[in-house]
Amino acid sequence: MKGYILVLVALLIGTVVTVVTGKMDLGSFNLAIALIIATTKATLVVLYFMHLKDSTGVNRLVFVVSIIFALVLIAGVFGDIMTRNPVSLPHGGPVPRTGTPSSAMHLPAAHH
Amino acid sequence: MSSSEAHQEHEHPWYLAHHFDNIKVQNYAVRMGMWLFLGTEVLLFAGLFLGYTVYRYFYPQAFEECSQLLSVGMGAFNTVVLIGSSFLVVWAYHSIKHDQVKKCAWLLFLTIVCAGIFLVVKYFEYMHKIHEGQLPGKMYTFEGVTAPGANMYFSIYFLMTGLHALHVIIGATILAVLMVRVMKGKYGSHHNVPIELGGLYWHLVDLVWIFLFPLLYLI
Repeated sequence: MKGYILVLVALLIGTVVTVVTGKMDLGSFNLAIALIIATTKATLVVLYFMHLKDSTGVNRLVFVVSIIFALVLIAGVFGDIMTRNPVSLPHGGPVPRTGTPSSAMHLPAAHH
Repeated sequence: MSSSEAHQEHEHPWYLAHHFDNIKVQNYAVRMGMWLFLGTEVLLFAGLFLGYTVYRYFYPQAFEECSQLLSVGMGAFNTVVLIGSSFLVVWAYHSIKHDQVKKCAWLLFLTIVCAGIFLVVKYFEYMHKIHEGQLPGKMYTFEGVTAPGANMYFSIYFLMTGLHALHVIIGATILAVLMVRVMKGKYGSHHNVPIELGGLYWHLVDLVWIFLFPLLYLI
């Protein structure tokens, strides 16, 4: 029971950290930090709440293999998109940032 | 049925299916079945995360600006609710393993309450977005973000959170059935695998949200 409480506290701390770092402007590091924290939290849930740490080998194999295949799916498709001739992509490739925001960002309810 | 409760495991209790030799073999099989199912769930959501990745690559500015329109407060609140409920369900499993039947039923009840709170918050978020005209396809009338791809962000938002909310509803239903069966005294230290598996499903719901929250609300 004590272990579960420790994991709960760690998950709550992770949530606070992800919100705080998410509000900071760290450029492309924002995405990396958010993913690292989320992966750490997910690992804690899988290992301790879902007891994969104490499971039999076959259960671990099944779950890890599913994650590997999810990553293969994402890496394969994303790798294909990134290495294609941009002409074949919508808008001729990624739409470049304009530098100025296209929205009235802090006024989400400004429209009627 | 009830007379068999006093039986020992090797005397073929009611919860042992006839095609299994003993409870150990059955538990091994049902656990592996559940993990296989969870593996397919991971792949189901992986497709949507892939869609998110690709469209974020296409429309970086729109995705950044749109994600700032979401309420971080509501998202963070729901994150805490789900993490808390994940803890409650593992506590319920711990209780039933120690024959604390009443406590287990109450903890499952509180988990279902958390699912309800999550869905109520989600309802208010959806209502706001529908009011703003951010639904997918022809219903999209929002003009607050003019960078191309804003409509894709909200389509992906509704698809991912919608599928997740469906999982919350299914998970809460499973936990409700388990709660009733706990109250009927079907589970205890001798037999608690259904609570474990129901809990596993609920943890998966939590897992998906752990990734959805930063990707949709924060970056």
